[in-house]
Amino acid sequence: MPTVTFLPSFRKVEIVKGSTILEAAQKAGFHINVVCGGQGKCGKCKVIVKSGRTEFDHEQYESILSAAEVEDGVCLACQAKVIDDLRVVIPDATLVQEQQILVDSGEIPTALNPAVWKYFLTLVPPSLDDQSPDLTRLLWEIEKSGGPKERAIYAPLEVIRRIPRVLRDSGWKITATVALVPGGYRLIHVEKGDTASHIYGAAVDLGTTTIVVYIRNLADGHIMGIGSSYNHQISCGEDILSRVTYAKSGGGLTKLQSLAVDSINVALTEASNSAGIDREDIYEVVVAGNTIMTHILMGIDPAYMIEEPYVPVVRRYLTTAAQRIGLAVGENSGLFIFPAVSDFIGGDIIADILASGMAESEEISLLIDIGTNFEVVLGNRDWMFTCAGAAGPALEGGEVLFGMRANPGAIERITIDPVTLVPSFSTIHNQKPKGICGSGLIDLLAQLLEACVIDRTGRINMTIAHERIRMGRHVPEFVVAWKDETAIGRDIVVTENDIKALIMSKASVLAACQTLMNKAGIARGEISRIFFAGAFGNYLDKNHAITIGLIPEVPVGRVTGIGNGAIAGANIALLNRRKKKVLDEIAEKIAYVELNAEPAFMDEYTRSCFLPHTDLSLFPDVETKLGQCRIRRGST
Amino acid sequence: MGISTISDWTGQIGELVIGATRSEGGTRSRTLKVGGEKDLNGIGNAPLGYPAVVAYEIADDPDLWPAVARHAVGDASSDPAAWARFAEAEIRPDLIRLYCTSTRRRGFSDCAAIRKTVEEVLQATSLPISIEGSNDPAIDSEVYQKIGEAAAGERILLGTAEAGRYRSVAAAAMAYGHSIIAQSPIDINLAKQLNILLREIGIPRDRIAIDPYTGALGYGFEYSYSVMERIRTAALKGDEDLAMPMISSAVDSLTIKEVREAEGEDADRIAVAWELYAMLPAYLAGAAIVSVRHPETVPLIRDACSSLFQVHPGGGE
Repeated sequence: MPTVTFLPSFRKVEIVKGSTILEAAQKAGFHINVVCGGQGKCGKCKVIVKSGRTEFDHEQYESILSAAEVEDGVCLACQAKVIDDLRVVIPDATLVQEQQILVDSGEIPTALNPAVWKYFLTLVPPSLDDQSPDLTRLLWEIEKSGGPKERAIYAPLEVIRRIPRVLRDSGWKITATVALVPGGYRLIHVEKGDTASHIYGAAVDLGTTTIVVYIRNLADGHIMGIGSSYNHQISCGEDILSRVTYAKSGGGLTKLQSLAVDSINVALTEASNSAGIDREDIYEVVVAGNTIMTHILMGIDPAYMIEEPYVPVVRRYLTTAAQRIGLAVGENSGLFIFPAVSDFIGGDIIADILASGMAESEEISLLIDIGTNFEVVLGNRDWMFTCAGAAGPALEGGEVLFGMRANPGAIERITIDPVTLVPSFSTIHNQKPKGICGSGLIDLLAQLLEACVIDRTGRINMTIAHERIRMGRHVPEFVVAWKDETAIGRDIVVTENDIKALIMSKASVLAACQTLMNKAGIARGEISRIFFAGAFGNYLDKNHAITIGLIPEVPVGRVTGIGNGAIAGANIALLNRRKKKVLDEIAEKIAYVELNAEPAFMDEYTRSCFLPHTDLSLFPDVETKLGQCRIRRGST
Repeated sequence: MGISTISDWTGQIGELVIGATRSEGGTRSRTLKVGGEKDLNGIGNAPLGYPAVVAYEIADDPDLWPAVARHAVGDASSDPAAWARFAEAEIRPDLIRLYCTSTRRRGFSDCAAIRKTVEEVLQATSLPISIEGSNDPAIDSEVYQKIGEAAAGERILLGTAEAGRYRSVAAAAMAYGHSIIAQSPIDINLAKQLNILLREIGIPRDRIAIDPYTGALGYGFEYSYSVMERIRTAALKGDEDLAMPMISSAVDSLTIKEVREAEGEDADRIAVAWELYAMLPAYLAGAAIVSVRHPETVPLIRDACSSLFQVHPGGGE
């Protein structure tokens, strides 16, 4: 088999002749950008072949590769096939960059009612007077210690096999672990000595891009450790649809399933190491993820979800043994997967709802989770509507000339002096700016509007004579940072096209909110709380989000970021088993509104493609503020 | 037996005045008032507004004009002033709309000629005037400045402002006291958005005519009809940002295949029919100004609209 050596790390990997360089890189543990899912379309997986023979048709990709790149040996990792030993350089730009992963879920007050218990037992050894069997002896002692009744506990064969040896080796001092699973109580572990304090559970947020794991002590509820990881599936496609496409290919589902498990295990290991605990002492794993992710994790074919009529396979929670799918936790530890409502409303959203508490309150709340896709939930403990849609990548920095993800060097906060039009900004890790991330773009839009640099459709007013307002190569643009201030040696600008893309993104979110509100007959004044879930929602300026009409206008104090709602919800379900019962109820109660089938949605969308909205009476405070801005601008 | 047409709208369409007489600082023989309706066109409560204004469209560069419209006026089309004079005398529209089609030619730069054309047309006719300028951000500013200046005091209706390029038109209108046509692509929300943009840069509501854009019959007219109807009902329900009179132009009607390919007398017959049967429902849907290019359509559409305007408030015969 040919050997591929990756530079500059000199990581080596052997691979079957004819495999792609991408497959070799994945095998070597590199996370390569494959936005298109390995179809040779996106040009993000460029690598440089330094020596050795490959099979790659440069002419076919001349639109992606420049002549100079071809000269240098650049090819696409997903298309180039390995013929013999290779030395390959992976440029930094090709690797998935470290991102700001939101691990904070806040502290969640919930009652401690875990589904796993440990009992330290000192058994009376058997004698001719007391010949009751080992298992009965053990279960009786559990009952006597306040545990479930002897008859109510099921003991699986693999645990029974361990019992006689453990009892005698330990001198009859053992710790038994009992879990409450859908079938009832189950004896899941028996070990020597007193380990009653070593009882942990893991809450997992299985995201399309990132994975976050919390390890909790189930005896007292405390956080023991936190770990995070990239979803290793990213090398099989960046967005969810390319993952499903990949899953359809031969062996694709199996590979994605094992990559998902690997990713969770990496995060679990990190969390266990930081907690100083043994992964074997994790007795329950609770996973919240979107519908496609949880289907793939369980090895269930997700293909039918992305085709009409878009049905998922299950709409209830799932349980199994964690080890059965390959999770590196204790033998017999349980796995609990949050239920999903539809293809687009997954367990992550149910977790958001649980974390927000909106399903247990009489007050009406609006919950918004924004990523590349967005989900909106409106309702209270009696009723709920939900919908999902595509916000486009603009709010995450995609399709924006100098947009970027929330990586170090991204401009995340901007204010613009309304008189001098000079921006001041801060960047992630205070590095010189490389680009602008979502929260910075929201600030920019709001500040440009307040300074009257752009009108309500986002067009730049070119009649203002100012060095920062200029005609770009094709469209007008505003200079955010001069090239000397940046880390990229070029002026960082926002163009009119960028602004249009942002407005279209924000409009789809607002239109979804309005559509649900119309459906439920709810006016904005009746909304008691707006919850922002997700990383983006946590970092953005809430006032600015209202100013541009990303969300309905409510007093800003009613807007709360719940951070990573998926991990928060998973934590709650892990600590309090009673909440698990609520989950299926939520999943059953929610009415899913298919926006594509909603005639009023397009109208709402056009109305929302305006800053903040075509119906200005929906944003009275914003209007007052903008009116004052215009007067101030007019007088300068 | 008639049906009751009593309705309970709360809003009213604003009034727009086009043209200025000598006493008002212009040179027009009369002014036109449009708008003022408190109900749907053709039915309902008084005031019913004013009868339909029929506009006739001419061009300064007739090569860029439908042949059937050009041929119908013979030699008059070769010179915009002569064309305007002919129109007032023979065709008798209420309003003349001059399209500065010369500005649509590639590399156009002769703004002085535009100024001259406008002045000559204003001298050639005493009717109120509407003028369509350029359609290119690179020259808009100068073209509209020249048109606005040449027609200063005449209170013309200046077109066309769109969401992507409204500042030049608005600046000229504000500087020289004209009104403007605000055109949006067949969408009530986009129409409203443009009106808000115009208001915010200082155009008063009574100086705007909404052009919701009119597709040709068989080529999307039903969308235009529906949007005009929605704009009108929104205004009658009290939406002030949509409560301006509407202008509907059969601009697309003479360029469609059926008209282009018709021959001989058929050509005129089909052209007139196509304009008439688009403009009559446009009037019903709420248009205050209907605008055509074939001279024979002018009296026909005027009669047709008048016949609908004669209704008795409150129903009856």
